Amino acid sequence: MTDIAVEIDSLWKKFRRGERQDSLRDLIPAAVRRTLSGPRPSGELREDDFWALRDVSFAVERGTALGVIGHNGAGKSTLLKILTRLLQPTSGSYVTRGRIGALIEVTAGFHQDLTGRENVFLNGAILGMRKADIAKRFDAIVEFSGIGEFIDTPVKRYSSGMNARLGFSIAAHLEPEILIVDEVLSVGDYTFQGKCIRWMQNVLKNGTTVIFVSHNMDAVLALCNSAILLNHGRVAAQGELATVVAEYYKTGGHWAPKVMDNPTVTTISFSSNLGHDVVVPPGEQLTFAHTFTAAETIDLTPGFFIRRGDRMVTDTSYARMLGHPLRLRAGETTTLRWSLSMNLPAGIYEVGCHIEDIKGGYHDYSNKACVVTVGDDPRVKGDSYVGLKLEEGCID
Amino acid sequence: MLAAIKESSIEVWDHRDLLEQLTLRDIKLRYKQAAMGFMWAVFMPCLIVLSGLIIRYAMARLSGTTLVRADIANIAVKGVGWAFFVGALGFATASLVGNSNLVTKIYFPREVLPLSSVAAQSFDTAIGLVTLVVILPFLGVVGHVSMLWVPLLLVLLVLFTTAASLFLSCANLFFRDVKYIVQIVLMFGIFFTPIFFEPSMLGTRGAHLAMLNPLTGILEGMRLSIVNGHNLMYPLTTLVHGVETPVWEPWELVYSAVCAVGGMIGATAMFRKLQPLFAEFI
Repeated sequence: MTDIAVEIDSLWKKFRRGERQDSLRDLIPAAVRRTLSGPRPSGELREDDFWALRDVSFAVERGTALGVIGHNGAGKSTLLKILTRLLQPTSGSYVTRGRIGALIEVTAGFHQDLTGRENVFLNGAILGMRKADIAKRFDAIVEFSGIGEFIDTPVKRYSSGMNARLGFSIAAHLEPEILIVDEVLSVGDYTFQGKCIRWMQNVLKNGTTVIFVSHNMDAVLALCNSAILLNHGRVAAQGELATVVAEYYKTGGHWAPKVMDNPTVTTISFSSNLGHDVVVPPGEQLTFAHTFTAAETIDLTPGFFIRRGDRMVTDTSYARMLGHPLRLRAGETTTLRWSLSMNLPAGIYEVGCHIEDIKGGYHDYSNKACVVTVGDDPRVKGDSYVGLKLEEGCID
Repeated sequence: MLAAIKESSIEVWDHRDLLEQLTLRDIKLRYKQAAMGFMWAVFMPCLIVLSGLIIRYAMARLSGTTLVRADIANIAVKGVGWAFFVGALGFATASLVGNSNLVTKIYFPREVLPLSSVAAQSFDTAIGLVTLVVILPFLGVVGHVSMLWVPLLLVLLVLFTTAASLFLSCANLFFRDVKYIVQIVLMFGIFFTPIFFEPSMLGTRGAHLAMLNPLTGILEGMRLSIVNGHNLMYPLTTLVHGVETPVWEPWELVYSAVCAVGGMIGATAMFRKLQPLFAEFI
């Protein structure tokens, strides 16, 4: 029997757009008007309502980590707020089995006029810790935060990084059975972030169930066992980590140039010799074919890029490679082939194309991109894959 | 309704450390960086007593009587009680909206926010009460058995104030102008509650009307049992222009108790019912 820690069944959440009447002064005249104009059918979606979550269902097994990803406004925070009992679903149900701890805006409970010490006790209590537990873990919290001798200084004198570090340290000592984390691993400096990641890995090792919301796909890939992609409140993909992250990349989620209003060149197809979404070992040789057509005669410089999350791995164009643009006559269709070795570390890469004319206008940008997942080479570690080998007869 | 109250009590009890920390926070913030320090706790009662004395002095002059020490004691006792009510409601009404960063980010029983406001005010009032105990003997007050009523009256005062706090903090979350309405009502409420005067001064009908204010029974009960040594089990009348006028009627106590306990039940049930909507509507 599998042990399910969090189970969500067909969750719907409706919000209202725009201003709400929040004073009696406005409410009373409005109520009179409503009474005079007769009752309104209830239960239906009014024009100023929108669904923040639509029919979301999933389950998280105990001791595993689920990554919740999606673009801004996809419904991730709404989902977390329902799980942490801050919001009530409009319909649907959910069950959580175990004590929940949330790492969401870890400094929300701080009072600026109180000292670090006082805030540790206050914030700990707000997060649901008993006073005795906080006292027991106090030294560990201060140690983890690295606040040191400033613990008796009012937090208003702290830098924002110190604030965040102390907030995170308190929350990190909650020891919940189900941990909900919303984009807080980006606090503090590089050293502290490393500390946070190690702490998360430890938490997972100790059998805590984790629901992790982040835009940082590297962190999601490193920490989670499975993922769920939300798009406009719907589950767009769920299940295997690499597939879901790949789907996320395909729906955008990072910078893209503004495509001109009346493009005359359109991409017909873009795919690799192995297909659209491929999983390859590092170093694999791939060829991408980019077919596009022009409605009028034009000088073009089609481009090719590889991205990893928000990082551009490589980006080039026809003109940059060859030194001259590509002329297409009206109605002409052509196919460009790009070839490369995936000498990249394990990860999920978005491979895409763009078509610019020589005046700099974008006709197309990566709307039929491929996603290439590069697998692990267990023999090497590091940030780059350089195809390192031991020569035959390397021992003299 | 009973289930809501049970759930509320269990959750608040589970979060008693949070209640303590929030109360401590409110008290610390009130006295941190405050020039008046602990004087702050007796500041409001002192002002109430002073303004009461001016009014009573004017009344005494017009009616050709003199102000006696017992009058000062009366106003002081009721003034401390009124200061508690006003202070607690002032802080509690804004407690949910003022902590909106917590309400929208972290789950805990939201009752603790208005409750901690009342608790922090209780600390101030405790200082006021200690001061009162020191001062009253100088105003001619001696010990009576009837003072045994005081603990019950204090409990009713706290219950009634807490009920109003729960209700108003919740109302202010949904309607932001509740805070201003409360301010105005509290400002003039001192004239609708017998603090500076006694109900009997309003004649029989007026006295009965004044007794409909749930605070009348509590505050009048306090002054009668402390200053007059009157046992609240029995009615008390006085002669005003030759007419026998009620000073105290035992049903006042029952009425206040019903208002306090009933208010507590109603406010808790309402708060529980609306609590899930707080984060969305704040």
